[in-house]
Amino acid sequence: MMSDTLIAPAPAVYARESWAEIIKSARMPQFIIPTIALPPAFYALFALAMGQGSAEGATRALATFGVFAVMGPALFGFGANIAAERESGQLELKRLSPMPAGAQIAAKVAATTAFSMVAFVLLYALGIAGGVSLTAARWAMLLGVHTLAIIPFALIGLGIGYRLGQKGAIAVANIVFLAMAVLGGLWMPIAVLPQAMQTIAWALPSYHLGEIALMAVGQRDAANLWLHAGPMALTTLAAALFAWTGEKAQAR
Amino acid sequence: MPSIAAPIIAALKGVNKAYGAHRVLEGFDFALEAGTVTALLGPNGAGKSTVAGLLTGRLRADGGRVSLFGHDPSHQLARARMGIMLQAGGLPETLTVAEVVDLHGSYFARSLPTAAVLEQAGLTALAGRRCDRLSGGEARKVQFAIAIAGAPDLLVLDEPTTGFDPDARRAMWDVVRAKSDAGAAVLLATHHMDEAEALADRIVVIAGGRIIADGAPAAIKAKVAATAIRLRTRLPADRFRAVPGVVKVETVGADLSVLTTAPRASLEAAFAIDPSLQHFDVTGASLEEALAHLVHANCTAALKEAA
Repeated sequence: MMSDTLIAPAPAVYARESWAEIIKSARMPQFIIPTIALPPAFYALFALAMGQGSAEGATRALATFGVFAVMGPALFGFGANIAAERESGQLELKRLSPMPAGAQIAAKVAATTAFSMVAFVLLYALGIAGGVSLTAARWAMLLGVHTLAIIPFALIGLGIGYRLGQKGAIAVANIVFLAMAVLGGLWMPIAVLPQAMQTIAWALPSYHLGEIALMAVGQRDAANLWLHAGPMALTTLAAALFAWTGEKAQAR
Repeated sequence: MPSIAAPIIAALKGVNKAYGAHRVLEGFDFALEAGTVTALLGPNGAGKSTVAGLLTGRLRADGGRVSLFGHDPSHQLARARMGIMLQAGGLPETLTVAEVVDLHGSYFARSLPTAAVLEQAGLTALAGRRCDRLSGGEARKVQFAIAIAGAPDLLVLDEPTTGFDPDARRAMWDVVRAKSDAGAAVLLATHHMDEAEALADRIVVIAGGRIIADGAPAAIKAKVAATAIRLRTRLPADRFRAVPGVVKVETVGADLSVLTTAPRASLEAAFAIDPSLQHFDVTGASLEEALAHLVHANCTAALKEAA
């Protein structure tokens, strides 16, 4: 039998799988509300309402809240969903099907990107309403940094999802989510934290992504890019290792 | 059995498989033919699920050769011709029945239309229902629909009718039968002997990692020239164990079920033990009884060998 009569075209399978992943999550209020509504709500509260209308403050917060907005879809979409699918046997059924191995991860990346984009649009709209004014180039750079932030958090989510059951994965993802936000200086600059806690920030991808996002909007000196891009690459590598060893550990 | 021309769909040749120090299979040979429903039976831990796991690529053999449609079972071309219904298979809670079946069908190039799959699985009325609002039996039907969605040449069913009412069971059996008649190989793992008897062309009994019987259901039963006698007696089962010819005594409700190879001698002895015995019923051994006898005989032989 000819192979082309047996194997479904891969791009079509990737597209179908991605769409299924998006509607699957979109129908879960417990996923959608905290991941998409929370970051704009916090931004409106912390930065706009409490920032007393300073355009500079609104811009600074927009840069770091964009990184915050990615963490929900990435950590929960990968962590909790992979854990649930693994636990219930859905992952195994897909592995035994002719679905290309990469389609599952690609679909999750697509869904995370889609939900992040919705959060970005809401955030950016609030930012503009709050006085943020950037050149087109700076908007593009900001969007680029925020989109790039999906990678490390998705990898951390994967590592969690491969190791823990659904309940454990949600609990751990929540802790990582809050720690990355607070200790990474996404809600408030780390300068307000005690010295010891400020040191932890250097090990967190959220901190470095926040700093790079601040460079994108011109709030930090871009000459220091390597100072954050280096640690950023290292933490992403560590996250990749965390995900990869998790995948190996759960494979029979 | 018309197996002369039936092509081999999947085969294990000299396969070894161990879990740690525990050897489950050693030098194991097994093949599945097109157009045949093969039931794998045997006690738990005998190696049934290991055999099914190796054939479907869920497990890797430690040694020997495993082939599925001439490929390694993990090959995409092998998987494209196989449909599986796992024992524990969750469904995406927020997708509808039709969406899930459609998605799984999309992995296969020659999938059946979703409407036809839903019809065959008895799910047409539930097409728009979300998977988290299905009963256990309904979810099982969706898993069956997923297994047949890709028009597979090998259908692997692990305890397919758990949670089904009798009508739904028979309806699924009819579909499986039709797939087999159309040329598909079916591998059935089940604990329900009536299911194996109703569906299987071939029964393979595995015990202790070896095939101890392999043939048509009638041939398996004939292999055990045993008779089942039901006795209504107030005496305990132990009183009948030493009766000539008896291989097994079981309490079934108010009765004792006695499996014997010498029915006449056993009945005479039973009357001697319980002179008040009034009600008894003599039948040929069922598949379940034949299987119990085979496994028991195999264990006894293995113990003697070891001694």
